[in-house]
Amino acid sequence: MSLKVKQILIGFLGLVFLASLIFVQGMEVARKREESGLVAHHVSIPATSAKCVECHNNLSPGIIDHWEGSTHALKGIGCVECHKANAKDADAFHHYGHTIATIVTPLDCSRCHPKEFDEFTHSHHAKAGNILASLDNFLAETVEGSRTPFNPHSPTPGMEVDMVNGMASLNSGCKQCHGSEVALTAKDGGLVTVKDLQPDEKGLPTNLEAVARIARNEESQPLMDASTWPNTGIGRINLDGSRGSCSACHSRHDFSPRRARQPENCGKCHLGPDHPQKEIYEESKHGVAYRDLKEHMNLDSEKWVLGEDYTQAPTCATCHMSAHSKGQAVTHDPGTRISWTNRPPVSMKMDTDVNHAVIKETDPAKRQSLIDSDGDSWQNKRDRMRQVCLHCHTNNYVSAFYKQYDDFVVNFNEKFAKPGKKIMAALRDNKLISKTPFDEEIEWTWFYLWHHEGRRARHGASMMAPDYAHWHGMYEVAERFYIEMIPQAREIVEHAEKAGRAGAADAVTEVIEAILERPEHKWFEEVKKAKDLEQATRAEPAEQEEKVDEAAEAEDAKEEAVEATGS
Amino acid sequence: MSRLSDWWSERVPISGEQLRELTNEPVPNHMKKWWFCLGGTPAYLFVVQIVTGIMLAMYYQPSPNTAYESVRHITEEVTFGWYFRGLHKWAATLMIAAVVLHQMRVYFTGAYRRPRELNWIIGMSLLMVTLGLGFTGYSLVFEQLSYWGATVAGNITDTVPVVGGFLKKILLAGDNYNDQTLPRFYILHAAIMPVSLILLIIVHIAFIRVHGITELEVPEEPEDKPKSFDFFPDHMLTELALGLVLMILLSTLATIFPAALGPRADPLTTPEEIKPEWFFYASFRWLKLFGPTFAVLSMGLIVFLMFAWPWIDRALTRITRSKEISTYIGIVAVFLLIGLTVWESAVAH
Amino acid sequence: MSDESSQTSGHTPPALNSHSTDTELGRRSFLSNSATVIMAGGLAGGYGTFFAMAGRYLYPSTQNKVWIFVSDAASIAPGESLPFQSPGGVAVTITRRAEKPADEVASGEPLAVDRFLALSSVCPHLGCRVHWESNNNRFFCPCHNGVFNANGIATAGPPAAEGQKLPHYTLQIVDGALYIEMPTSSIGRKA
Repeated sequence: MSLKVKQILIGFLGLVFLASLIFVQGMEVARKREESGLVAHHVSIPATSAKCVECHNNLSPGIIDHWEGSTHALKGIGCVECHKANAKDADAFHHYGHTIATIVTPLDCSRCHPKEFDEFTHSHHAKAGNILASLDNFLAETVEGSRTPFNPHSPTPGMEVDMVNGMASLNSGCKQCHGSEVALTAKDGGLVTVKDLQPDEKGLPTNLEAVARIARNEESQPLMDASTWPNTGIGRINLDGSRGSCSACHSRHDFSPRRARQPENCGKCHLGPDHPQKEIYEESKHGVAYRDLKEHMNLDSEKWVLGEDYTQAPTCATCHMSAHSKGQAVTHDPGTRISWTNRPPVSMKMDTDVNHAVIKETDPAKRQSLIDSDGDSWQNKRDRMRQVCLHCHTNNYVSAFYKQYDDFVVNFNEKFAKPGKKIMAALRDNKLISKTPFDEEIEWTWFYLWHHEGRRARHGASMMAPDYAHWHGMYEVAERFYIEMIPQAREIVEHAEKAGRAGAADAVTEVIEAILERPEHKWFEEVKKAKDLEQATRAEPAEQEEKVDEAAEAEDAKEEAVEATGS
Repeated sequence: MSRLSDWWSERVPISGEQLRELTNEPVPNHMKKWWFCLGGTPAYLFVVQIVTGIMLAMYYQPSPNTAYESVRHITEEVTFGWYFRGLHKWAATLMIAAVVLHQMRVYFTGAYRRPRELNWIIGMSLLMVTLGLGFTGYSLVFEQLSYWGATVAGNITDTVPVVGGFLKKILLAGDNYNDQTLPRFYILHAAIMPVSLILLIIVHIAFIRVHGITELEVPEEPEDKPKSFDFFPDHMLTELALGLVLMILLSTLATIFPAALGPRADPLTTPEEIKPEWFFYASFRWLKLFGPTFAVLSMGLIVFLMFAWPWIDRALTRITRSKEISTYIGIVAVFLLIGLTVWESAVAH
Repeated sequence: MSDESSQTSGHTPPALNSHSTDTELGRRSFLSNSATVIMAGGLAGGYGTFFAMAGRYLYPSTQNKVWIFVSDAASIAPGESLPFQSPGGVAVTITRRAEKPADEVASGEPLAVDRFLALSSVCPHLGCRVHWESNNNRFFCPCHNGVFNANGIATAGPPAAEGQKLPHYTLQIVDGALYIEMPTSSIGRKA
């Protein structure tokens, strides 16, 4: 190879080298472009929270680990930013250089998330605590436990049991989903709750005498009443007057939106015999698709818009809360897309007034005026839900489904719910059952009918789970009604008659018979009644016997004919 | 212009002629161009290492708390950081491979024989220092394998009889990996070993110049063909071309197989699989086959034999009356080396 | 090198002969020159770019900055100052400008980031920590009695003599939360 050739070769190789370097530069530009806008991926602990992390990393390293995985950590929001409390707060205390409170309420979160706080506070979720705070939650407090402590039967080996806390079922059961009314222990052994503190709109207590009563330990930390805390119920009634707990859905301390998008998250509370939404979803085709395609649904992405980031399957959040590509942003008020409320014994259409409460008014004109003055009609709500459905289903499909659903709810309402309610009202009004709830069998029967089976049926129809609509639903409703409730009501009437209360007995019987004579219930007693009639007329003279015999034969023949053709 | 050259020659009294004579090594035709480059290749790669090493050292922090983070910073944030780190990593691999290939070439052409025994020793020393650079370099990244590899190396050093404990303490700056170990490895890698390498290379090349390159006689070569060609500019251009080929190769490797970052060193967790870098696979396998004491002693013996090979070869050729005895032994040794290396690379534990 | 002698000198006049030799020489050296030029070009292109990239690598990057959360913007009252320390220890004072009644923010309107000012708490004179004196509406450095006005410009003491001012940091407000831009080196990292 001559020199010249070598030189040219070197020149050529130099250019190839240059080309490789240009490629390298191209890669660098691409890398930089990809990384621009991304926050530094290592987490730095904000200076104010450095001490917290130092200590708690030893005490409870899980908390720190979870926090480090959160978006809060990426943006530099640490412990103090959320836990910091005003010194005037009822539950504030001084802790290693900071004034903090243990419980972070939605009001605290609203400092940075005001929109979500607003939406959530108007939602039914935030009102979940009402069921316990002021209503008589008889079942858990009295039937399953005791409102006042009671003596144990005998000692528990290995443990000192002074008095039995009868509110335990309420505390570990109902309250954990619905939310407790947070209480601090008072110096005199009593409790201090939001009712005593009377907080202003900033959450600071106005009743300083109540604050003074709060018992504190040596570190001046207020003592929380164990029956009300730990509690992350979605309707928790907090000391600062706010309702709810954001951690209920956005588990702390990673506050993962990914988790909140998954049905298992809602399933923590929305499951079970009385409202098996989780099980219903899992049966439905939506749930089947989700289980199969979960990993492709971009659960980790920052925005999660149906139609843009995923379309494989809807989750609870998708239909009830999440953003979608037809112009709806995320809402923290699931009620804005629900057209029937299936919670009460008799389902109601969700026309809501300006205070987001369901309108119970029956007069159509009055209803309409309430809706018009800043309320929201059930049609609007259904339309919002429809926009979600339209991502995968056509308009006709959705309309036809809603017809099926509406028909189902109305059937339940009219055939079983309203009659059942009427019978119970009649028994109560005529004092044939005691004022005490749940002390008679028929009260349990009726409760099962509307609160468990009836709800299951309605939820099953609403979310496309036929098994729950039928076998776990209406089938059991029907059995409960015909085979338990009617006979039990009649038994009560019989006892009443024997006890000489004919008037009351007759009134109730009238109600029962009126219901059973209706065309939809007629099948139940038609044949029995005919047979009874036959029995009654058998006591007459002999020539009637033939006629009756013929009638009976005709009946038999008819029955056989029915059996042959019917089923 | 001539005034400038007068000014220069008064102060630097070496003429161009003298320089040319000093450097113009006649290159034998046999060592035609590309084979002969096996010596220049590691030298060129060493220069690449110095340049990229200095660049990495501008951002690297040799403290156990911040070392890993600084490497991450280079790899993920510094402009072209990933590229220069990749160059450094791949040039290390290629340099060691080139040194080994060069040594094999020297061995199989018998170029270590009298009177070049001393240069062979210099060359063996170069090999040892290069391997040392490879080892210390990897331990600076402070990944899991860096830490545990260094720990294992310390323990192996410990098994050397008599001086083992002492050597281990000097290497790790203590009984175990501690705060001073990393800075010590850093100075070894960035100062002591490169300087030693430079000095050894100077001596190595000086030896080549004074001895000249053996002109092998090959029967089929026509008689009147020139026996050698000039270093300048012929071979120089060849080396330049090779240098560019190496840069292109390194660039490609650094881009397609970039240097990654394993998990950070955790003194409390020993990883499932501890493996040294590929160039230590053979000795690692040897160690696992024979247990520490025997393996260390035997490897020490092998290294000693390698150093002393010129004399051993002389004795062997005399004893066996075969000029090719070293070649046969060499073939066996190469197969052994490759075999052990491949074995270790294939096995998980 | 040039041991090939010209063969054509036979029938050309001496003048032309030397001219043709010159031409031949010119042609030859042009060829070898062009090869050399190509070589030089290739080398310069390759290695030149390489070292240009090395230079770019060595130049400290201006991009390594990150946004850190300070506080929700609304909780800083007009005229109030918030001392802030970055995770790596950089001390900054963040002030919200006092508002004249005319430009009070209408409720519900998002806060504009220009209502806030983030100034370093490190005195440019010799590095002592300055603190904000709200009653005097100034920053004061106790080391040599340096004084800075509310915008960080030195008005008295050694810093004023040298015409210095407190360096400022960039702020942004996203969804009502106030963030400050800090170099990642000042962030530090947990061990």
